[in-house]
This record gives sequence, C-alpha cells and structure tokens, in this order.
Amino acid sequence: MNPPIKNTVVGARVPLIDGVEKVRGVAKYTADLAPEGALVGRILRSPYSHAELIKVDTSKAEALPGVVAIVTGKDSPFPYGIVPIAQNEFPMAQEKVRYRGEPIAAVAAIDEATALAALDLIELTVKELPGYYNAKDSRAVDAVQLHDNKPGNIERDVHNSFGDVEAGFAEADLLGEDDFHCEEVTHAHMEPHAAVAEYDPQRDHLTFWSVTQVPYYVHLMLAQCMDLNKSRIRVIKPFVGGGFGARTETLNFELVCGILARAAKGRVRMVLSREETFLTHRGRPAADIHLKLGLAKDGRITAVKAEMAQYGGAYGGYGIVTILYAGALLNALYDIPAVQYDGYRVYTNTPPCGAMRGHGTVDMRHAFDTMLNRMARQLGLDPIEVRRRNLLEAPTETPNGLQITSYGLPQNLDWVEQASGWKKRKGNMPKGRGLGIGCSHFVSGAAKPVQWTGQPDAVVNLKLDFDAGITILTGAADIGQGSSTIVAQVVAEVMGLDFSRIRVISNDSAITPRDMGSYSSRVTYMVGNATLHAAQKLKARLIAAAATALETEPENIECLGETYRVIDSQDSGISFEKVVQTALIDHGAITERGTFTVPKAFQGGKHRGGAVGSTMGFSYAAQVVEVAVDTDTGEITVEKVWVSHDCGYAINPLSVEGQVQGAIWMGMGQAMMEATRFHEGLPLHANFLDYSFPTMMDSPDIKVHIVESMDPNGPFGAKEASEGGLAGFLPALAEAVAEAIGTEINDMPITPDKVIEALTKKRRADKKRKRAAS
Amino acid sequence: MDFDLLMPTSAAEAIALMQENPNARYLAGGTDLVPNLRRGIGAPDILIGLDGVEDLKGISEGGDYLTLGAGVTLAELEGSGLSGRYGALSAAVDIAGPALRQAATIGGNLCLDTRCIFYNQSKWWRNANQYCLKLDGDTCHVAPKGQRCHAAFSGDLAPALMVLGAEVRVVGPNADGWKPISDLYHEDGLAHLTLAPGDLLVAVRLPVVSRDLRSGYLKSRLRKAVDFPLAGVAVALRREGDAITDLRVGVTGTNPRPLLFDGLVGGMDQGPNDDALSAITKEIGQMIKPMRTTNLPGLYRRQMVTVLTRRLITDLYDAGDRKE
Repeated sequence: MNPPIKNTVVGARVPLIDGVEKVRGVAKYTADLAPEGALVGRILRSPYSHAELIKVDTSKAEALPGVVAIVTGKDSPFPYGIVPIAQNEFPMAQEKVRYRGEPIAAVAAIDEATALAALDLIELTVKELPGYYNAKDSRAVDAVQLHDNKPGNIERDVHNSFGDVEAGFAEADLLGEDDFHCEEVTHAHMEPHAAVAEYDPQRDHLTFWSVTQVPYYVHLMLAQCMDLNKSRIRVIKPFVGGGFGARTETLNFELVCGILARAAKGRVRMVLSREETFLTHRGRPAADIHLKLGLAKDGRITAVKAEMAQYGGAYGGYGIVTILYAGALLNALYDIPAVQYDGYRVYTNTPPCGAMRGHGTVDMRHAFDTMLNRMARQLGLDPIEVRRRNLLEAPTETPNGLQITSYGLPQNLDWVEQASGWKKRKGNMPKGRGLGIGCSHFVSGAAKPVQWTGQPDAVVNLKLDFDAGITILTGAADIGQGSSTIVAQVVAEVMGLDFSRIRVISNDSAITPRDMGSYSSRVTYMVGNATLHAAQKLKARLIAAAATALETEPENIECLGETYRVIDSQDSGISFEKVVQTALIDHGAITERGTFTVPKAFQGGKHRGGAVGSTMGFSYAAQVVEVAVDTDTGEITVEKVWVSHDCGYAINPLSVEGQVQGAIWMGMGQAMMEATRFHEGLPLHANFLDYSFPTMMDSPDIKVHIVESMDPNGPFGAKEASEGGLAGFLPALAEAVAEAIGTEINDMPITPDKVIEALTKKRRADKKRKRAAS
Repeated sequence: MDFDLLMPTSAAEAIALMQENPNARYLAGGTDLVPNLRRGIGAPDILIGLDGVEDLKGISEGGDYLTLGAGVTLAELEGSGLSGRYGALSAAVDIAGPALRQAATIGGNLCLDTRCIFYNQSKWWRNANQYCLKLDGDTCHVAPKGQRCHAAFSGDLAPALMVLGAEVRVVGPNADGWKPISDLYHEDGLAHLTLAPGDLLVAVRLPVVSRDLRSGYLKSRLRKAVDFPLAGVAVALRREGDAITDLRVGVTGTNPRPLLFDGLVGGMDQGPNDDALSAITKEIGQMIKPMRTTNLPGLYRRQMVTVLTRRLITDLYDAGDRKE
C-alpha cells in the first residue's frame, strides 16, 4: 500500500459546508418551501391488501366546495419503476390494489380539512382477493398471482454457481448448515416525504421540488407518467433530511403530486405523514436464508451454498437488483473457491421494498459471518485467524467477475484485534459478557447504471467568471452525507484556494449537469473523480493564462492558489484575480467540464445479472462488538464497538467517521430492535415510537479507525465510506451474544424476548443432557 | 385537528368550563393527548388548557404529607430530588425523553389513556382494520372472541405512588376529596379511569411516613429511553432486623389499570427466599394479563414482572442491609 498523500484541504477534518444552515435551523427543506398559493394535496390509500378495483367514484368528492382537482389511476395509465425491465407500478392503482396503503386517488384542495373530507367522499367498489404477507404463503401452489405475468409470485429467481461447490463440501473437514431469518426493516430517515409541484398551464411546464436522492430519475419518471416531454420539466432538490436508500427511486407520491398539479393547473404541496412515509417504504425486505458452509480444519473456506427468499412487497422496484446483490456479494470479501446461490424475490401484499444502506448484502452477510464464527469455535480456531486464512490479495478478480483493486481487510482485522484486546479477552469474558467479530464490504458505486445511456457516469461543471469565484455545478444529491463538501474540498485542493472562493450549486436540472444521484455510494468515487478532472482542467487553463500574463511558457508557472508565479523566481508573481482577468480576455465566462466513466472491465461477470455487485472499488470493514447481557431480562447492552473501515483514502476524515458511526448505528438497530411487522398487511409500527431504533441512551462508544488502502482509481485514492460497516455489526453482535449466554440466536433482531427464549431452551436441553448422563 | 383552546386560571373555572362543554378535553402537557388527537382518536371542539391553573402547581411538604400538584411536570419532579427519599419516584426520571418530560405532568401520567397497537393508529389504519372495541368498532383484535378491551395502562408513576401509599385529590361537579390512588382506576381498557364528567385530578399526596419504606421502580422496555414500559414494577418494603414487615408491589404495563399488591410479607421473617418470592410472583401472575398490545409478546412481559419483582425485593432488602 502506498502511503497516503499529505494534502492541505483534501484529507483535512472539514466540517460540512452546509452544516451551519442545518444547525441554525434555517435550511429550507421541501416542506419549508413557500406555501403561498399552494393547494394541499392528499392521497387516498387502499384499505385493502389485495383486491380488484372495480370502481373509483369521485363524484361526491368533486362536488365538495374547495376541491380543485381529483386524480385517479385513469389520469396516468403509464407504469414506472427504477429497473427498466421491471416497471410494473403505477402512480395510482389501475385494475388492482396490491397492498394496504397503495395510492388510489388524490385530491388537491384549498386546505387540509377540505382535502381530507374529499378523500372520505371517494367511494370504492372492489372484489377482495386473498392477501399474502410472507414468502411461503405467496409461493404456495394455490396462491392467487399478484401480477399476471409473474407465476408463483416470483419477481425473479437467481441460480448462480461458480467453482465446484460439491467438491468443496467433500473437501471440507467441517460442514455447517442452518436457517436464518431477518425481519424487514426500514430507513427511518428524519424528514418525512414531501413534494411541491408547480404546473404552468400556459407553457405546459412543470417545476418540481422533492426530497429525492435521485432527481434525475424523478425527472424521467415524471415525464413518463405524465406523458410530458422531459424538456418541459425542471426538478430541484432542496435540503434533504436523509434517505439511506428510501429515495433512490421515484416514489409514487412524487408522481401523484405532479399529476395533481397539472390537473389543478397550479401549485400543489404534498407533505406526507410519518405513517405515509412508512407506507411508501422501500426498505430492506424480510429474508429467509438457508446457508451451508464448508471449512477445512485450518479454517480455509472450501465452499458455500446459500438460498434466500426475500419478501419483496407488492411491486418490482429494485427487487431484481436486491436479490442479485445478496448472491453477488457472497464474493469479494473473502477468498471462496466455490459459491452457489439460489435467490427468490417474492411478491407479497405489503408495501414495496427497495434499496437500503448495504443494499441486498446485509442479511446474507449476517448468515455467512455468523456461521463462520460458529464453525471457527467448533474447530477451536480464533475467528479472526480464520478470516486471515481466507484473505484475498489485490488486484484480483473473483469467480463471479468482480474486480478488486485495493483491499484493506487485513489491516482492519489487525486494528480491531489489537484495539479490542481480542487475543486476551475473546473466550475469557466474564459471565454475561461477550465479544464478537464481523466483516463486511460494499461497492463504491454500481459500475453499471440501471439505465444505459452511453453518457459518462458523472459530469461536473466548474464555472469561473468576472467575480473570480468558482461555482461547482453538480447534479450530485447531497442528502446529508456530505457530497457537496467533498466536491468543494476536491476543487479547493487542486486550485490551492480556500472555500471563500468556492460555492456549490447542486441539483437543479435547469442549471446542473445530469447526475444519476446518491445511491450505491457512488458519489465520492464517481462525482469526486469528475470534479477532480474538471478542477485539473481549470487549473491548466489558469496556468496558461498566467504564462501569457508573465510572458513565459505554462510549464514554468507555479500555482500557489492565490498567487501564480514563475517557478523558483524571487518575483512575487500575480494574483489569482489577475490570472482570472487574463483568462477571461476574448473568452468571457469559463465553464470547465469534468467527466468520469467506469471502464467496461469493471462491469462484472458475463452471466445474467452479472453487473449487479460490480464496482471499481470495494470498501472493507471489520468490527468487534462487546456486549453485556442481563440473563434474567434478556436485555443486551452494547458496551463498545471497535470498527476499522478501509475507505481507500479519507478525503474528509471527520465525515468518514460520522458515516461509519451511522452505519454501525443502523446495523445496531437492525440487529437489536428494528422490525416493521404487519397485521394482515397493516404496518403495526409506522411511527417513531413503536418502530424502535437506537436512541442516544442505547448508543455505545464507537471507536472508528480509518484504513487507507489508496485505491488506484478513486479520487485521491478514496472509496466508499458509509455502507460497508453496517452489515458486519449483525454477525458481530450475534457472536458476542452467543458468548455471553452460551447459546446461539440466528434470527434478527435479537430482542430480549428471544434471548430469554433461547436461554430457556438451553436450560431445558442442559437438564435433559444431565438426566441422560446420570 | 381544529379546536379552541380555553385557558382557565383556577380548578373551579376549569371544571365550570368542562361542565359548559361536555365534549371538551383537559389538556395538560399534551404528550399523550395530542398524538392521539392527530390520529383522529377523539375530535374535541374545545381543549381546556391547564397550564395556567394555579391549584395544580407546586410541591409542598407539611404535616403528615408530601403533596404534589397534578400540574407539576415530570422534569420538575425529577429536579426536586425527592427520589432520594422516596426511591420509587425514580420512576419519573426515566419516562419518555428529556424533551417530553419538560411538558408532561404528574396528572397526565396518572391519567394516561390505555394503549394498544390496534388502537394507537391513524384513522385510515383503524378503518382498514374495521376499528376496534375501544373506539368505533366491536371487536378486540387482541382477543377477538372476548368482549373486553385489553389495552394496557402504561403510566410509570402510578405503581410507584401506589406502593408509597399515595392518595389523589379529585375535584369535580360532585366531588372533592382524597382517596387512595387505586380508586382512580377500573380494570377496563375502554374506561379505565373512575373520573366522572368534569372531574379534575388536582393533586397527589404521600404520607411522609412512607419515607421509612425502602422503595424502588424498575421497568422493561426495548430501548433505554423514549419507550413506554412493556412492564413496570414498583416495590416498597419495610425491613426490621432480618424480617420484611411490610411489602407492597405495584405493577404497570400489563393490564388496563395499574395493580397494587399489598400485605405480601408471608414467609419473609428471615428476608427474601425463593419460596416466599415464588408465592408472591405467583399471586401477581394470577392477576396480570399482558396481551398482544405492544411490540414484544405478552409472555415476555409476564416473565419480566416476575424478574423485576424478585430483583427489586432482593435489592431493596440488601441495599438496606448495607446502609445499616
């Protein structure tokens, strides 16, 4: 590994450049946008899990004074969806409703009370069908199909095998096989969903503000579902209060808001309740996993066979991608010679699942690393040593065609082992305490976009004008993760300037170049590289201008940021402003464009679906979790977490630490308490009281260590920093709890009742054994 | 949510306003009422705010009683340091979160509505589920065959105050007097409070002699903050020598009302022992009915009542030992 470069701005702990507005409470989120003249938009949602929609009678509602427009499925018979081959969702239900909460109609009215009263007046005629809420019931032979073209209620089944799995199992000294279940979880982003749509009937133009992570895809789907030319639409992303994947595809309320604004010929503001935000969902699906793993007695992994069924919800969404991710990323963390994967994405009558931090990988990683820890114990091996025996070596290609160019897992393991005192403490913990380890990885941007356009993966424009300020124009959606800060740091670093000359304008389709958005941790890698490219071009241009002004050749010019001068001269040189003035002569305002394109070689294996999981750089994380378990109450306290994350290079270590802590937190929620749960398709916990995620009181001390493996292709060597650490928490916690209570729990979340249940079972089994022995 | 807010300055005025507007609701901290109103649980035209009612304020110690105004906020109670002398009042320290405790009041916590995952839902949700026995419907989804509402009372303060021998003062059109706090409740999830129309809970008082009791409160919940108790147990006991001579247990979170178990000293001449503790938890176990009203199963909550009861009795007994 090359040592990290010492920079001045890149690599510094820079507070987020938009943090001040947020802390002061003056940042404008979508729901804060001026409501003057805006109608209130509200959605009528299906009270049925599964039903033929025979009639939607809006006549009484239309007659209500104050109602300006009502729209139904008839107003948009165009399907949409993030994956072009799997678009089977409509802004509002067509002939069928498939989950409780699905939009059926919407009202724009002069105020909220009127809108709500109008919803009550809409009459539905339906024929109810049986509802299915788990994969098993949906896949039953006599189950009614949710979608006519999806027999067996399977959205996609995946069957991939690489290497000789049976030979691998034959070679193994120990085989482990077990079932795991992970409950469905959701993102629980702070800001509820909201959108504002303004339709100009004279020009047939739509201006649209939303909470999205992917303004570009929202733009495309608005055009598609409104049958409106893309050039007539402008999409703006204000401040966004989190996403974690909830907003990485166009959501039904966004389309409904646009359609409603056109029908109302004006401005419609739609602010969803927390319950509606839960219903919009797109979280991590519940999963049934069956895993078989072979280990040689020295700890070498010989083969793995995994089967997973995901309860995907009622529509396609990202489903195909999610089920493929789960199998693809069995690879690329450890060196595994043979991998078989059978995945089933199943339709259920519940809100559609989607992408969530650690997309597709988390539940499978829990099963795999939990099994690995358990089998290490059975072989009398240290689980960290077992991982060391299965390390990859970069650069390499995995059997399923993934490229690994940098690999900091060994350094991660070294640090967590040392920092946690692992060698001395693991296996020697006092009663009720335990230590566990888990490893995980994630992509730095999906190498192949879901929609192929032939365009670069990222484009960034730098505008430099008379004011000698640099405006970064980027379509990258800062949703709180700090992407605007990263691009500012990159420009400041290359130009040698401080932030006073730099501003970032992000996400206004009328101004900023297209960007695919904030998902799959692509922004720092791809947009960072495009920004680097643009900044280097701008700097070259200014050096040329300085050479003209100083009557020399560009190669003789040294850029000191605010000063350009002849290299090694005693001359004080000329100021940045003077250089800019020179550059603008005969040219005027400069726009320098940077691009980044992922080469084909990185786009995964040739097999069907092989692009999913492919990336230019994998991040790696290892973590040790320490717990104390109260064996009377089953309560688990996470005492401490040591996490080491290889993000290639930390462009902003402060931000990296925050992201890694956030990932640990989210993993902790899934591992210990979060679960959506339904009663016949109705969400039981669609609020922040009953959907429990960790509070500050539940939060342990999280020690974050950054490993810098200097990725050869990342900007300054950087890779992903915010998703890779999540998945490892689950198996690390499961292992720590197993040590603390002396028995295993496979299912997530490990709530106190499960601990008590496991302990009761263990006591009974121990008694039985004792009786048998005597 | 559309209502007028009236702001009386005395209990008498508040009660008179309630008599004039029988559909109105009293509003103290609002941390229970307002989320329910937002969900369409009740739609009063008028709320009678109690913020300005002087009769409800203040903590005073005089004579035989410690008196707590019903309008005292949980944060004020927490800041009073009283839990140093009345250990079970530590219950107040851990209710909800710090921001909520700034608004929430003692009276509000005692008069909390009962809770159930089939009830604390939006109107859309309850409509899709054909409503429930507690509101607008005729089936209890927790126990569909029965005709009883099993929504659970989840206040933390009630069991703590019960074991300390607290009384409440209820003033209303036909009432003004002190009564045991247990009399405030029925075993009925639909109507768990015994308050008559217009009645206002004005104050709570504890006999100062209860200071001589060792008392404490423990609860079970999924998170270490914010959550309502899945089950909560308060214990007060008197230790004389090795013997326990007075023992009371209060339980919350399991039934439509908080429960008080008194006179449990049997078999404790030599202090807590497995037989005596089992007898106590068995007696309690026969009365509690934790059902599927929360995000963790009823069985677990039942188990926790036993665990927390045993733990508290033993800890309080031993803690006293160390102190002596």
